[in-house]
Amino acid sequence: MNREVTLRQITFMYLFISLSTVLRQIPETLAEEAGRSGYLSPIWSVIATVPLTAIIILLIKSYPGLNIYEIMVHSLGKFLSKIIILLYMLWIFLCIIAKVTIYSLTLQFTLMPKTRSDFFMVILAILVFYALIRGVKTIFRFSELTLGTILILFAIMFICAIGRIRSDYLLPVSTINLKNTVMASKQVIVVGGNIIIALFFADKFGISVTKEQIRKLWFGIITFTVLAFIITLFTFGISGTSLTKNLPFPFYITVKSISFFNIFERFEVLVTLICVLSDFIAICIFAILLIRCFEWLFNIQECNILFVPLTVIVFYMTYYVSSTQFEFNFLYRNVIVNLNLIFEFAIPFLLAFVCLIKRKKIKKQF
Amino acid sequence: MKGTGVNMIYIFSFTIIYTLIKQRDRLLREKKNLVLYLLLSMMGIALGVVYMINPYLPSLSLLMEKYMK
Repeated sequence: MNREVTLRQITFMYLFISLSTVLRQIPETLAEEAGRSGYLSPIWSVIATVPLTAIIILLIKSYPGLNIYEIMVHSLGKFLSKIIILLYMLWIFLCIIAKVTIYSLTLQFTLMPKTRSDFFMVILAILVFYALIRGVKTIFRFSELTLGTILILFAIMFICAIGRIRSDYLLPVSTINLKNTVMASKQVIVVGGNIIIALFFADKFGISVTKEQIRKLWFGIITFTVLAFIITLFTFGISGTSLTKNLPFPFYITVKSISFFNIFERFEVLVTLICVLSDFIAICIFAILLIRCFEWLFNIQECNILFVPLTVIVFYMTYYVSSTQFEFNFLYRNVIVNLNLIFEFAIPFLLAFVCLIKRKKIKKQF
Repeated sequence: MKGTGVNMIYIFSFTIIYTLIKQRDRLLREKKNLVLYLLLSMMGIALGVVYMINPYLPSLSLLMEKYMK
């Protein structure tokens, strides 16, 4: 059956858009909140990400062929659904603005410190616009094609870096730190919650979703947790916690000291490239979600023409929301993390709760 | 020092008008489309004009940080 989007593609997309945040924000925030034992926090994150995945699967199975908006209409009514979609729209809008900001800040911090952020934003806008013209399938295929190479690259980097890990940076870990590591896992959970994109595209999976496809989602969550754990472990083990918590992009500095048998060096350029690609794809996918929200909210078809005015708004809003690294860090830790918890966890949990209450009624309908 | 952001308003204005003319059939097919397009365009241009007048306005994060301390 030729589906527009498959769960496999969603899993690849989920991993791809989470990569940049895993590389940039997670080690830094975990070092600050949990200290030396922060690398254990990704393990605790499964307490929230696994139930979320189970909920997404439950909703996809209970409402076959329906997307998040249609599920909301069935379970909460049209009026409430529109309000929630409006809130989702604003959240996605903020996510896009934050991604654009951090994308330009990353390039300034790593490769081009003398170039103005406006330049990066204009180039990004053109690239995103071009990608969106090509369609959703192209964006999904791109992430599908690139992710495998990136994972192999990470595997090579980690093998090369094993000898550089200092055990005194990681050990000893005592039970006193347990509470801190559990609390800090919030930072991993909010990134893992990106899997919610599956619900936005649920109407494109077709009526029947096989067990094999469902297994892909579980694979995505496991891979995400393992990746977050390994990246944090290596960052902490090579750079140390005190350096990690004071740097805007600690993994970049960590990778600087890695070489492949003294033959290949400067892997940090590749890490920047991975981050930039991940941000680019994340912005594309969030733009598609934003347009879908517009379609649902205003009951209109062919919303693609709105990309131009939306680009203008996003471009100028990046200056008004946060423009420096310090401002972005504040925004991320105080606003985005908490909003992600609401929109990636609270609302899907509410939907699942309503779904369980109305189970008999739903079974008759579908 | 005025950056690209200030000059971008002209390019954005041109792009908005160009899209409006080129996609007029799609926009006029449904009134909602046109209203939404014009509303969002006006919002974008307004933001651009504000930025053109004062490019050094404090950001939302900065204001929040001040009030939260």
